[in-house]
Parts: sequence; structure tokens; C-alpha cells
Amino acid sequence: MSAEEKQEAPDAMNLEERILELCKQNPDGIADSTLQKELPNVDTRQRVSAVNRLLSSGKIDLVKTSNELVYRLKDPGVVSKIKGADNQERLVYQIIEQSGNKGIWTRDIRLKSNLQLTQLNKILKNLESRKLIKAVKSVGAARKKAYMLFNLTPDPSVTGGTWYSDQEFESEFVEVLNQQCFKFLQQKVESVSALQLDPLLKRNRSFVSPEEVWKFITELRISKVDLSVDDINTILNTLIYDGKVEMTISAGAGTSSSDSSSKLYRAIQPLTQPTGLMRSPCGVCPVFNQCYEGGAISPSTCIYMKEWMDY
Amino acid sequence: MSSLQLKLVSLLVQEHFGDVVEKICTHLLKNGSNNFRSVVSTVKEKPEQVKKALCVLIQHNIVKYGLNKRGMVEYTADVEKALLLVRYPRYIYSAKTLYGDIGELIVEEVLHHGEILMSNVVEKVKVRLKEAMEGNQLEPSAIKDKFIDLVNTHFLQRLPSWSAEDDEESKVIPLIPHLSVSDADLYRIPETAGVTGKRKRPLNDGGRSSKRARSSSVGSEPDQEVPLDDGIYWKVNFERFHRYFRDQDIISAITQRIDKSAGDVVATMLRMSELTTDFMARETKPLSFHDIARQMPKKLENRQLEQYMKLLLDDQTMIVKKYGDAGGGMYEIDLEQASRVICTANIESVVQERFGSKSFRIFKTLLKKKYLEQKQIENFALIPAKEAKELVYQMFAENFITVQEIPRTPDHAPSRTFYLFTVELGQVTFMLAERCYKSLINLMTRRHFESAENKRLIEKEQKVEAITASMQGSGAEPAQLEEIEKTMTQLEKEQLQKYKGRIAKLEQSELQTDKTVFVLNSFILQEAEGRL
Amino acid sequence: MAGRGRGRGRGRGSSFAADALGLGRGGEALPPPTAQPPPLFPPLEFSPAPLPKNEEDNYMYLLKQEFRGHMRDSPYCIKPHNKKKDIERYSDKYQVGSGDNGIGWHPDWKRFPKELRIVSRKARPPKSAGSVKPSLSTARVSKKINEEVIKKLDELEKKEDGTKSGEEEEEEEEGQEEEDAEEYYDEEEQEEGTDYISNYFDPGEDYIDEDDGGDDGPTY
Repeated sequence: MSAEEKQEAPDAMNLEERILELCKQNPDGIADSTLQKELPNVDTRQRVSAVNRLLSSGKIDLVKTSNELVYRLKDPGVVSKIKGADNQERLVYQIIEQSGNKGIWTRDIRLKSNLQLTQLNKILKNLESRKLIKAVKSVGAARKKAYMLFNLTPDPSVTGGTWYSDQEFESEFVEVLNQQCFKFLQQKVESVSALQLDPLLKRNRSFVSPEEVWKFITELRISKVDLSVDDINTILNTLIYDGKVEMTISAGAGTSSSDSSSKLYRAIQPLTQPTGLMRSPCGVCPVFNQCYEGGAISPSTCIYMKEWMDY
Repeated sequence: MSSLQLKLVSLLVQEHFGDVVEKICTHLLKNGSNNFRSVVSTVKEKPEQVKKALCVLIQHNIVKYGLNKRGMVEYTADVEKALLLVRYPRYIYSAKTLYGDIGELIVEEVLHHGEILMSNVVEKVKVRLKEAMEGNQLEPSAIKDKFIDLVNTHFLQRLPSWSAEDDEESKVIPLIPHLSVSDADLYRIPETAGVTGKRKRPLNDGGRSSKRARSSSVGSEPDQEVPLDDGIYWKVNFERFHRYFRDQDIISAITQRIDKSAGDVVATMLRMSELTTDFMARETKPLSFHDIARQMPKKLENRQLEQYMKLLLDDQTMIVKKYGDAGGGMYEIDLEQASRVICTANIESVVQERFGSKSFRIFKTLLKKKYLEQKQIENFALIPAKEAKELVYQMFAENFITVQEIPRTPDHAPSRTFYLFTVELGQVTFMLAERCYKSLINLMTRRHFESAENKRLIEKEQKVEAITASMQGSGAEPAQLEEIEKTMTQLEKEQLQKYKGRIAKLEQSELQTDKTVFVLNSFILQEAEGRL
Repeated sequence: MAGRGRGRGRGRGSSFAADALGLGRGGEALPPPTAQPPPLFPPLEFSPAPLPKNEEDNYMYLLKQEFRGHMRDSPYCIKPHNKKKDIERYSDKYQVGSGDNGIGWHPDWKRFPKELRIVSRKARPPKSAGSVKPSLSTARVSKKINEEVIKKLDELEKKEDGTKSGEEEEEEEEGQEEEDAEEYYDEEEQEEGTDYISNYFDPGEDYIDEDDGGDDGPTY
């Protein structure tokens, strides 16, 4: 014990290992208070963050015993395996571990570890087969593999988030949501116009919060995955770009906290009908630039015009 | 002037004034200002024909003349004026909307002749109305009153005229006439024009008569009918009509976005600004809340109007602006912003109809966010990478969006370069205006093609109609009429019907396309004005 | 004017940026190689928006046709000189005032450059620009035509019978009609005593005019 206590300010890596060591010595779990006593030179903030890292990387568990919460080694096997691994494996494992749930590309592991590619590949394969790490396809670059610890859930930026399944963008899903959200906003506008309200009130009441839209969508049960309000905001933004919806920031009346202003959405009408040019075949013509009188594609020989005129 | 504009003008002038006039007009447009001799020598038409063509073009305000540095008369064609030919039906229709059937006929007559005396218009409209109304008597002053209305509201404008001093009989005729009109007289009906019609006027009838006399080379007869308003010509003030079109576009945009009453408020504001605000001004003169309230045609409660003003101010189009709070504040319409918003909406409509709603989303995302990388476009618009790339490429290839390269290294290596996509509104507007011109050319060309294809049939129908009409006039037997009717076979009638349907669609499309031209050009003009 | 923005966008953008960006459609988007050339008119991805079907647009289109028709029939529409018209219009034959020689309307010469003046011996001071009859419909239906009706009907019928031989006859017939039309205007002129057609038939005018044009020269 005393040997370890000599260290005045243990760095993060060592601290984690110290904690793991302590957990190992107390297979039934170690209480936070005990941990504190065991690590007198470590300040609370450092300790808590180290514990959190260990918790989130799945090395220790928080277990409730009869009267208190204790930290316990999650899978003693894993740690022992690491213990048993050679230094290079250990290094690679740590690099991957540091990357958290965003993962890390082979090239970057190589840069950090200074290992040869063949050597590294062997180690990665080895770790993978022992189910210590896993390779995840990244949505941004389908061919590059990102490595992360086996038991982690990949970050949305890796998987693409809600709109991806199996690294495939679920285009239809997005469009269905886009339509349903718009329908909801439109119905709101219609139901409000049915009331005989003052113009200002009419407008104000047509606005809808993203939470309301979220509730509506959730109740429709069209989504297999759980959507967050933020997801709904993303969809509502596409409706703004569609020119169908406008957004306003309401200074939250009365609500005190940091979230005092919130977004509100409302369905709007387009400013114009289809413009005149687009009412003729020339407007939509795919060969417009190749068209000239006397050419093979010309106004006189144009089949689009013919069909359109006789329609 | 682009080559497409030139081609379109050539078709329009040809269609209205024939091949000879077209030839002269095109020559002047291609070669710039030109004197008579040089026109004659290049176009290979008899001087006589060139003279006639120039007269027609001058009469219809397409060609202007002036003296060059060496004192020679030069002729210049105005492409913008000539392009308006396609819009004539819209001017006439607007006159109908504003001033009823009489207004319609007045503007139509003025356009027929380019420039014309008020007394002549009144006479012609009277004849046409008599035919249309079949004897129903019309208040004699009704036509004149409408004419005066049209002048008072600036839809008709006085042309420069001879001043009396220059008009002495003895003088040598100058190379070009010196015509002038003061700004104050542009929209003022001279007193003489108020007197009814023409009168027989002997030559030696006091002071005014000398003005009537023609120069000595042209023989004059005494006792000749001379209109009292001789020399005072009127033309259609296109700019005023354009302002009316623009105002209507603003009103309809607001009506679409908010509701009818909001449209009424804006219409009232625009109406109040008609004579106080210059056409090209960036905004209307500020109006007080109370003045607007007073001028509303259908009384809104003050509380309601207040709410509408708030709605207009809040609207994301930002067309209505407010200054100060005293006495309910001052309001104005941002005409430049209105022009931009409406032009943008029309451009977006092109994107929507031509590339579909996902491209529209990308386009609008770019409009809102200004500069975006491909990846950002995908994320904002929520469109998968591959599809988004395709759509961006399509619009890029057709010049709807542009790309800016920002190299991170001096070698401009593509792999180390940011590519930022953006929409350059001005550039897209120009590009689309050109597209409209080409579309108009195509539609007209197809129309001529259809007419040529059905030439024999059309002529036959015209003959049959003329004969039928004349026989009816001479009281022919019904059986005889039926006989003539039968010379057109059922098949021919069907074919003609089909032909007429095709022409109708083409012509309607021409009018529609010109509406887009108008919106685009208004924005281009407004922007050009802003840069000055 | 239009050149400024466009040139820039095209010039810098297109050539390599598209490829470098991975914007080019790439191999996958290219159609598979086929023996057939691509169709001239590929199927439309989007159809044009419908034309508006309201009163306003219908009326405006009628105004458009009428206006164009009116202008073509008006003296402002100048016919080619001494040339057989390539497109023979029925209305040509009933043209008011726009002849091959002379000007069919009355410019107020005081408003035009001196060199453009077309002077004829018979010319009288014009009343004003455009004392042309506002409507041709009455002129078209004249007693004179009635006399021709039977003859024309016959011709029409003949045309129905034989299409090939009909063409020659048509030409003859047209020649005939033109003469008729001229007679008809003569009559009209006398009846109404209007002066605006007088220039139209002045035989010497052309000669004088060219002379006049020559005289103008030295003035500069």
C-alpha cells in the first residue's frame, strides 16, 4: 500500500489502474468512501472522473449492496486477459479504449502506437477474436473500419444516428416523418382557422412546439426506433427548407430556467403559384440546351410540345 | 442585349409589322445606331421601304432618332421596348380590370397606333362600342372621362410635341423635328382636348390656324377637318403598368401568405404611394397608421388593423417595415425586398418543377445557409450522400448553383480544397431570363410551324366564313348557307379544332412565360438601381 | 449586361470541380453500354405545371390573337416590295391601305425626320396618324363580295374535286381576287370620300420618292 501512496499526483491511466487494483483486492466491491481513504492524494474530482471512465468503458460496475453502493470489477476475466497480454497488445487496447465510443481508425492507431501495419493487424485480429474490441463500419467512410471496445454502443456520428440502420440511410423513413410532421402542423393551422379568432391570435395559436410534434409522432407508432425531440427538430428543419414551415423563437413566457426560449413551428403557404415558365414544356425540358430550329431537337420536331398541346 | 433577345424581338416584330420592318429593326439592333443611307445600303431594300419601316418603328416607339456628332440623323432601336410586344395583351387586360371595357378599348387603340391623338382614340372607341352595343346609346363623355382617368393615373403619357414658335410656315424644315414636353404637362390634358371631337376649320381661322398649315411642299386644303388637339400625342406609359403588375404581385404574395385582409392593407399602402413614390424607389414613402386606417376601402377596426400591421411586420418576407412608435408609428413597403422575395419565390418554383422537391430542399437550404459543403448539405437536408450528390450535380450543371473553391494548400490540390456550394441569385435570375426568352422563341416557332402545317385548312375556313357572312348580309336562303357550311368536311372541322386548341395552349404559354420574364427583370432592374 | 455573372460561374466551376468533388455521376450513374443511341427526347421526369384555366387568362389570350391579327391587317404591317408573298394570306387580299407603294397610314410628318418623308403628288395634309378604319369587319362584308360569292363557291367545289389540278387554278384564282380587291377599294374610296387610300394607288409615287431620296443627300 505504502508504495503506491508515494505517488503524489497519479496520472489518469495510473489512477484507473490503481482503482482496478483496489477493486480486484475487494472482489465483493469497494465503497466510494473506502476508495477515498485508499487514495488520499487524489482529489475528489480526479477520482470521480476516473471512476466514471471505468464505469463507461465497462470495466467496473456500480452495485448496490444492502446498505451502500459499491464498485465491483465487472468481468475479472477481461482484466486478467489484458494483464496477461503482451505490452504491444496492451498498448493497442489502451489506444482503442481512449477513443471511447467514437472508435479509432487503423491508421491512427498505427500513428499512435508506432507499430508496423502487419504487426498491428495481427494484434487487432487477436483482440477482436477475443471479443475485447470490435470493428464498426463508419457511415462517413464505409470502407474504413473504426475500432472500439467490444461492449460499447457506437456514437451516432459513427452509425449516422437515428436515420441510419446498418449504415444505410433510411430515406423513406425520413420522408414519411417529414410528411407526417407537416400533416400535423397543417391540421393545427386548419383547426385554428375554423375558430373565429383575431388574426394575431389565429397566427399565434397555429404555432406548435417540437414536443407536441414529438408526442404526435410517438403516438403514431410509425418509428421502430425511439425518436428524441432533437430528432423531431431535425425533421422540422427539413420542412423549413421545403418552404412549407416557418420557425420562430418564443421567449418562453414565465419559464425561469436556462431554456427560456424555445422553437415553435407553423405551416405556411407558398408565396407564388408555379411560375409561368414552368407551365410550358420548355420549362421542364431535359434537352433544352440542345434545342434549336433546324436541329434534330427543335421546336418543330419537339415531341414534348406535341404531347402537351394535344393533352 | 443577348442573341436570344435579338431573335425574340425579330420574331415579335415580324409577327406584328411584317418582314420588312423586322429586317430593318434587326439591322438596327445588330449594328447599333445607324443612318438612313447605311441602313438602305446594307439591308438591300428600296429606300421607300426602309422609310416606311422606320416610320412604323418610330411610330411604335421602338426606334428613336437623333443627330450624331456630325449632324447626321441616326436611328437607334430599343430592344427593351420591342420585347414588350409580347406583353401588350396584359396591358390591355389590366386596363380592362381597372377601367372597364372602355379602358380596355382605349389602351388597345393606343397600342395599335403607338402614338395617337386623344380625339382619335375617342372617335375609334366610339365606333367600336357602337358596334358592340348595337345601338345602345353611350354617354358621350364616358370615353373621354376614362381617357382622362387613364392620364391622371399616369397609365397614358403625353409625348413631346412641336412648340408653336418653331412652327412658322416660312422656315426651312429642320432635319429632325424639335419636340418637347415639360414634366408638368406629361399627365395633363390640355384644355383644347376637352372640346368635343373635330371641327371644320378654315385655314385663316385666327392665331391657331398657322399651326395647322403644312409646310409648303405639301399642299393644304382649306376647309379641312382638323382635330382641336392636333399635335398632342399620347402613348401607353409602360412603366406605370409595370408598377401595377409589380404591386399586384406583392399583394397576391401577401394574400397567399397571410390572408385577404392583409393583402388589402398592403394594397392600400401601395395605392397611397402610387403618385408619391418613384417607380424605381427602394421603398414607399412612410405612411402613418392613421392614414392607412383612413384609406382602407373596407373599414377594419383599428384593433384589427393594428394586428394586421403586426402580422405584416413579423412576416418573414419582411416586406413591410416600421419606423418609430409615435402615433402608431410610420409604415413603409420595402420595394427592393419585395422584388427580391418574389423573384426568389419564382426561381424556387422553377427548381421545384424542374428538379423535384428534394432538389428544391437543397436549393433552399443553400439560400438560407449561403455557403455549404456537400456533407453539410446532406446533413441539413437529410438526404443520403449519393442522392444529394446527384441532385447537387444536376443543379450545378445547369447553373442553378455555383461552387467556390477554397484551397487549403497553395498547390490547389483538389483533395485539400474546400468546395463551398452557394446560390448566386443575380446570376440565376439572368440565366432564367435567358431561358424564358428561348422558351418564348420556341413557343412562337412552334406556333408558326403549326400554322404552316394547317395553312390550307385555315384559308379554307376563312373563305367559307367570309362567304357565309356576306351571304347572310345579302339575305341568302338558309339552304344556301348550309350548302356552304358543308364544304368543310367533318374531318376538316375536327382537324381545325385540334389546331386551334394547340395554338391556344402555345399562346397562353407565351403569356405565362412573359409573366416570369417580368418578375425576373424587375429584380434585375431593381438590383441595377441599387448598385448605382 | 447578362455576361458578367454567368461567365464566371461557368468558367471556373465546371471543368474539374465536378470530378474532384466526386460530383460527377461516376461509373454507376452512367447508362450501361448499348448498341442503341440514347433517345433524342428522353422521357420527361417532370411534366409542366398546368396552364391556369381562369377567365383572365382566357381573355388575355383572345386579346393576344386579336391584337396580332389587327396589326397584321393594319397599314403598319409592311408587305415586301413587288414580291410574290411566300405566305399568301386571305386577309392580304382585303388589306386596307398597305400597298406595295406608298405608305398606308398617315404619319404626322412633323414628328418624323425630314428624310423619311414620303411625298406624293396627290398628297394632302393628313388628318392625323391612323384615320384607318378601326374595324375591318364592315369593310370585309361588302356588297361587292356578294357578286363574287357564286364564283368562289364554284371554285371551292372544284378544289374539292381534284386536289392536283386545283393548285394551278388556285393561283389563277388568286390573281383574279387581287384585281377584284382593288376594284373594291376604288369603290370604297369613292363611296366614303376618305383620302387615306389615295396614296396607295398613285402610280408615279414610287419614282418620285426615289428621286426625292436622292435629292436629300446633299443636305448633309
